[in-house]
Amino acid sequence: MAEVVLDAKGLTKTYGDMNAVDNLDLQVFKGEVYSMLGPNGAGKTTTVEILEGLRNPTSGTAKVFGFDVQKDYDKVRSRVGVLPQTFEPWDRIKPPEAIEYWAGLFGRKISNREIRGLLEMVDLAHKDEVWGERLSGGEKRRLGIAMALVGEPELIFLDEPTTGLDPQARRGLWEIIHALGDAGKTVFLTTHYLEEAENLADRVSIMNKGKIVVSGSPEELVNLYGGGTHVVLKGAGEEGVAALEKLGYKSTFHNRDVTVHVPALMRTKDFMAQINQSGIAYKDFETMRPSLEDVFFNMVGGRMEEGVLKQ
Amino acid sequence: MSRMVSDFKAFGLAYLRSRTGFFFALIFPVILILVFGAIFSQTGTQKIDLPVQDLDNGTWSQTYLAKLNATGAFAIDMISPDVDFNRYIKDELKVLALQIPSGFNESVNNATRGYGPPATIILKGDPTNTYFTVGMGVANAVALQLNSTVVAMVQTENLGSPQYTFIDFFVPGMIAFTALTTPMFSMSTICSEYRNRGFFKLLGSTPLRKSEWLTAKILWYTVLMLASIAIMYVVGIAAFNAHFTITPMAILLVIVGVFLFTSFGMFLGVFVSNPESASALANAIGFPMMFLSGIFFQLESMPAYLQYIAKALPLTYLAEGLRATMSLGNDVVAATDFVILLISGLILFVIAARAMSWKGK
Repeated sequence: MAEVVLDAKGLTKTYGDMNAVDNLDLQVFKGEVYSMLGPNGAGKTTTVEILEGLRNPTSGTAKVFGFDVQKDYDKVRSRVGVLPQTFEPWDRIKPPEAIEYWAGLFGRKISNREIRGLLEMVDLAHKDEVWGERLSGGEKRRLGIAMALVGEPELIFLDEPTTGLDPQARRGLWEIIHALGDAGKTVFLTTHYLEEAENLADRVSIMNKGKIVVSGSPEELVNLYGGGTHVVLKGAGEEGVAALEKLGYKSTFHNRDVTVHVPALMRTKDFMAQINQSGIAYKDFETMRPSLEDVFFNMVGGRMEEGVLKQ
Repeated sequence: MSRMVSDFKAFGLAYLRSRTGFFFALIFPVILILVFGAIFSQTGTQKIDLPVQDLDNGTWSQTYLAKLNATGAFAIDMISPDVDFNRYIKDELKVLALQIPSGFNESVNNATRGYGPPATIILKGDPTNTYFTVGMGVANAVALQLNSTVVAMVQTENLGSPQYTFIDFFVPGMIAFTALTTPMFSMSTICSEYRNRGFFKLLGSTPLRKSEWLTAKILWYTVLMLASIAIMYVVGIAAFNAHFTITPMAILLVIVGVFLFTSFGMFLGVFVSNPESASALANAIGFPMMFLSGIFFQLESMPAYLQYIAKALPLTYLAEGLRATMSLGNDVVAATDFVILLISGLILFVIAARAMSWKGK
């Protein structure tokens, strides 16, 4: 059984009457990329800051490498790298200087070659003469990741590392996170991007209103909570919608294509046999597997748009 | 135009909602007016500081001193006959002091009966100083009024100016002033900015300890201050032929001053919400302190109640200590000030370090 790197039990953080984190249990194992997925205000950052030792819980316990985060974090601080949600570099420090500074805080003497290597890893080698304040949003985050890695941590917290970045910058960061996973690092990633969690994580927890609603590998979640498959009958037209209704299926109609939801318990093959038997005319068809988005919708009751929950 | 008006309204509202912003905009100017008004609006009520040593302690000396006091011109400070008066005058940088010799009573009685010359009262100090001239005039006038005939007169004793020019007064004061402004103003802003921009949390995620972070700041400001002192020293000597010297005690005072004001800046930064407010608060505290601590004016030139306030301000002790060791060679006074500053600094450091948290709430 894999080593437990992070272990939280009954974690609760209360502000007044509100439970920002509500009796949360979770475990993260060595070498996995664990993603906490949820809308803004779900309690992700509060949770991650408690796990980073940067915020005290109201109740419950959390251990990192077996050490209590409230009492003994100093013993494991050097084994943990952190990229906070609001990371920004110091204004007048160049990337190589920032890395050298951070290495110093972790008690490491770092060579110019190692600095260069880290900058190349995060694609910032060409920005080595630029002050922190003049880096773009994506470049700042990449510098933040390089700083988080400079202490050669075994566990890395990345709190919404791609929020606000353009798609290209986001893909660039995904590659870095993939590489961290491949290198055997344990990564705790929070995000409100479903595709990010699906793409990067070995295990995902969906969090809402301070609670973990469901967790598991993306495949498990989709299979268990995705709620079936969508079939698009191309060119079926309005007649198709009517015929499907007679068969007991609700469908949507767009540009003469009809999309119908096939329940999880029914095999797509059986559904298509039923359609063909009923004589519904269509030119072609395609199936769409459910995604984490469907899982999220089914479990939370809404969809996320840029971190905002839409009911 | 409407966008500008909206921005003006929103900014004004936000500014006034900040307590510190409100204080800086409306209350701070009032404080400055009060402070400057108190210093400069002297309405003829100021008394000349006059140490008096009565070696005779007879009826006539007491009569003379009572009449002298009744003029309202002097704030008389009685000095024990056991004190070496000339030494006292030099150590305390007095420009004016009065001594009644022993046998004064008998001399006055003899002069009254026409048996001898008038008795002598000795006015000691720096005859080139304006206070000395004014004091001599009043002391002489009182001596002439002591009896119907001339029974006493004032003689002067020139103790000279103790090689203590304005620049010798001012440069140590400016060093103290810089030891206040540089660490305190920037630390208050830094603490607030670090909290707002998440730098404290970022640092909290590393093995760095708060005490290490703060010590690094104190060290940096100390190095900065030493460079600043070197520059001020060179300028003071080259441009004004100053007489002060940089002593080991001066270095110790600067280090403890930086320690104290760095802690004080951190203390301020902990309690304000944004860097602008921190800067405003530091200004609001720092500027009156500068003027009240005798950086620009002799404390003795201020009204008595302001002198009491000055005694409660740490900058007073830093300026006084630096002047004592650098300009007057008096390390005893400087050492006392050092101890006061060290104790104040330790108290502030502990309070600020406890109040400052790198953790979120």
